Amino acid sequence: MKEIIIFFPIALLYAALKGTLFASIPLPDVPLLMVFYAAYRRPSVEGVLLAFVLGYMEDVLGGGIIGSASFALIAVFLAAHLLAKKVQFSTRGTRAGGAFAAVLIKGALVYTVIRLSNLTAHILTDVLIQAVVTAVFAPAILTLTARLALRLAPAPWKGDAS
Amino acid sequence: MRISERKLSAFFKKHHTIFVSVALALYSLHLALTYQKDVPRGYIVRETLSVMVTPVERLILAVRGGAVGAWSRYVFLVGLTDENAELQRRILELQDENNRLKEEAASGRRLKDIFEYADAAPFNATAASVTAYGAGLWSRTVTINKGAAAGMDKDLAVITSSGVVGRVIEAGTRSSTVLLATDVRSAIDVFVERSRTKGVVEGNGEDGLILKYIRLDDDVSVGDRILTSGIAGVFPKGLVVGEVVRIEKSKDNFFKYIEVRPAANLATVEDVIVVTDTGFHSND
Repeated sequence: MKEIIIFFPIALLYAALKGTLFASIPLPDVPLLMVFYAAYRRPSVEGVLLAFVLGYMEDVLGGGIIGSASFALIAVFLAAHLLAKKVQFSTRGTRAGGAFAAVLIKGALVYTVIRLSNLTAHILTDVLIQAVVTAVFAPAILTLTARLALRLAPAPWKGDAS
Repeated sequence: MRISERKLSAFFKKHHTIFVSVALALYSLHLALTYQKDVPRGYIVRETLSVMVTPVERLILAVRGGAVGAWSRYVFLVGLTDENAELQRRILELQDENNRLKEEAASGRRLKDIFEYADAAPFNATAASVTAYGAGLWSRTVTINKGAAAGMDKDLAVITSSGVVGRVIEAGTRSSTVLLATDVRSAIDVFVERSRTKGVVEGNGEDGLILKYIRLDDDVSVGDRILTSGIAGVFPKGLVVGEVVRIEKSKDNFFKYIEVRPAANLATVEDVIVVTDTGFHSND
């Protein structure tokens, strides 16, 4: 549980940095990577709650439609969790590819929620840029996340041997 | 009966992560799809997060200011010989002072503009500073350093001396969230200054605005200024929203598709005026 709780202050720091120093620079979607990590390494109820909380936080701090990001992140968690039964996210390529797909899934779901709310959005380019940036940084961030989780929870998680 | 109950229990235990995921996803979807209903939501969470994040954001901005100064001094100092070290240091001090004075002058000019505008405006207003830009990919918001304790409230108009910025959507105790005019959820009743044609300006979700409900035979040209009509009651009448930059025929063959460039630079706005009066209703 504590390895999940440690993600929360990291996500808060990420939100503060993104809102100030890096307001106009595309950053990798760190909360999404945390959820992705929790889904393929630790598919548990704590992971689902993490997805909900990080999504809710993103909606609140980003001024977005409350519920949209949490809905999308839970769906990403579920998709990664089910996919992890077939695919081992153990190489750089699969992690980058998985992160790329996860950003696209999140983007498509938030877009759908916006459209269902009778609003219009045209930011496909932004989603693609975010997906590329997240995919590039995903292997490094996921490795760091794994090391951090391992320090906090010495019990091996699924795929720790990789 | 017991066997089937046991089976059901085992099935739930085996797939409980999926069940919880689906339940929470549906709850989130419910929150999102009922968002526009006028129900205050997540106030405690918002307040808690605001209390946690705002000091960090202020610290980051302060550290950035200090680091930029220290770095510029360090870069200039590297490689200096002993003979001219003192002179160079003096030059640096003067440059530093000059930069600081320039920044203070710029800040002073901005604040002077803001206060002059606020004083001359026919409505009550208060100045505020932007402390953070919205981190969401799908939303355009900023956080300002004044909240309910300073009289902020939902749906107060936020402007600069250049034009409309947006409106307050959430007022916390010490900070507020402003929905920028460029957000897809923003809709402002406007009219074209030259021809008095009325329409609605909506955000395009990026850095621009779209003027909607202008019929093909309505008189609008590139370069026309768009002003607030004051009809909806949020914005006073006559504030500059932007300038028409592109006109096309829309797909429905009934309305024009008109792009508007915001008058205020919403991507870099630092100081704003919050109109504390409410209930502007034009009779036009």
